[in-house]
Amino acid sequence: MTSEIVRFFSVQIALLAVVLVLHTYVGLHIIRRTLIFSDLVLDQLAAFGALAGIGLGIEYGTVQSYLSSMVAVLFGALLLALIKSKSRAIPREAIIGIMYAMALVASLLLGDKLRGGEAYVTKTLAGSMLWVTWPLVCVTTVVYIVLLLFHYRFRHKFIGLAENPQMVKNEKLWDFLLFTTQGIITVLIVPIAGVLLAYAFLMIPAAIAAMFTKKWAGAVVIGWTAGFIACLIGLCSSYFFDLPYGPSLVLCLGAFFIAAVIVRCLFSNNKLFA
Amino acid sequence: MLPIIQILGLPFLACILMSSVLGYLGIHVLKREVIFIDIALAQTAAVGAIAAHLAFKVHGDSLLCYMCSLGAVFCVAAFYAIVREKLSQISLEAIIGISYAIAAAAALFLVGIAPGGHVHIQQILSGSLLWTGWRDIILSLLVFSVVGFCFYLFRNPLVRISTDYQRAYAGGPKTVLWDFIFYVLLGIVITLAVQIAGVVVVFAYLIIPATISAVFSSRLTVQLIVVWVAATVASIAGLLFAYYLDFSIGPAIALFLGCELIIAALISRFRRVLLLVH
Repeated sequence: MTSEIVRFFSVQIALLAVVLVLHTYVGLHIIRRTLIFSDLVLDQLAAFGALAGIGLGIEYGTVQSYLSSMVAVLFGALLLALIKSKSRAIPREAIIGIMYAMALVASLLLGDKLRGGEAYVTKTLAGSMLWVTWPLVCVTTVVYIVLLLFHYRFRHKFIGLAENPQMVKNEKLWDFLLFTTQGIITVLIVPIAGVLLAYAFLMIPAAIAAMFTKKWAGAVVIGWTAGFIACLIGLCSSYFFDLPYGPSLVLCLGAFFIAAVIVRCLFSNNKLFA
Repeated sequence: MLPIIQILGLPFLACILMSSVLGYLGIHVLKREVIFIDIALAQTAAVGAIAAHLAFKVHGDSLLCYMCSLGAVFCVAAFYAIVREKLSQISLEAIIGISYAIAAAAALFLVGIAPGGHVHIQQILSGSLLWTGWRDIILSLLVFSVVGFCFYLFRNPLVRISTDYQRAYAGGPKTVLWDFIFYVLLGIVITLAVQIAGVVVVFAYLIIPATISAVFSSRLTVQLIVVWVAATVASIAGLLFAYYLDFSIGPAIALFLGCELIIAALISRFRRVLLLVH
């Protein structure tokens, strides 16, 4: 019994530790550039891709299903990078929000004509992180390490996009690569964690960090630490008090976020956090 | 009476009522760059409704349920108004986006620990525009008229804050209060509209017509005309499309609004090319 608990927690903690590094870093880009909806666009397109796959006779959860999600997500990344309004009256976030609505509409209309579409939508919302296995952790770790190395190698380009986009050559290409990274981690993590938890992993640790520092490395460390502690508390309370898994983790992350907002509001002029 | 009018008459009336208020509010939302606000407020209202359902065992359309939804929305409105003043390190849109995730998790959590609330979540997402009754029409007419009148009465401070928050904030300490009033009024409209039509249509009515109008003009009167024409045309087209091809009404209307935006963007680009040629 004890070894079972140890095994369960070690797999979970290993996956959380790996996932939070890249999610915090990509989340920082999303928060600092105010592209909050982009994650939902990609989540929704991944779901749409799998749903279209079901329409074509591909079973959900197979390699082909992952591939059809990936195609939809790459298409989304391309659109996110290319479509920008020239008018200052229309913020980029509005365009991205409308893309999200259209992806959702496409999924709902497709679901109207597809048998079993609703059951699939529920599956993507909830995820199945309780059944995480070591092979899955290994595959995720390898992909995440490759992506992290890529981002480290070209960090000046990606950080330039957030801080000084006029100075970056081929802005649209680097934008596309950023959204593609986000897309790959979306396709990998959504079947495991569900849409909601995946979105929370990306946004909340990064937002906590962005409130306290402007440095990128420091922000990743703060975000990872806060996110990891929150997830640990969520994981333990879910396991020992038999609470719903995903929502418990998101609510713990949310509690940390609200605590951070309160601290920041109370000490808004404090030089310690400047 | 023709069967098509019998079936689609009341949904069409509901669409016209909703789009006239949401279209105007959308212009504010676009200027404030708080695109997520609709989904976040709708989700917060859902948490209030589920909490009421679990605590008092009341139905989704009871008065107590509405009150709990509104109470939750008021709390979040106050949170946004205060945070916007106090927190400059991250954008309000990020805060709103995260509060959406927390509210959605809270809803799933409440449903998870005490089953029976999932019906609310389903209804909040998809709505039931086809089953709109006279009660919905009269209630929304009353509520939207009061909110519209408030917006007319307080138009100066509300427009000032939406256009330039920093300048409005420098002008007087009441900015946070006006900001709070804006989110409360928006919350009341969204809570009611989402009950009738679901999140997808409400979001589409809020953002897409306002974006189309911003493509063509920055003057409020022109924008309002474009918003209302665009919403009415898309509502008619969406209702007919859903009726004849047997699709859900909400997503069909949102689809036509999206098509209108693409056409508007093409016209705007074509016009720019023509101007360059001349």
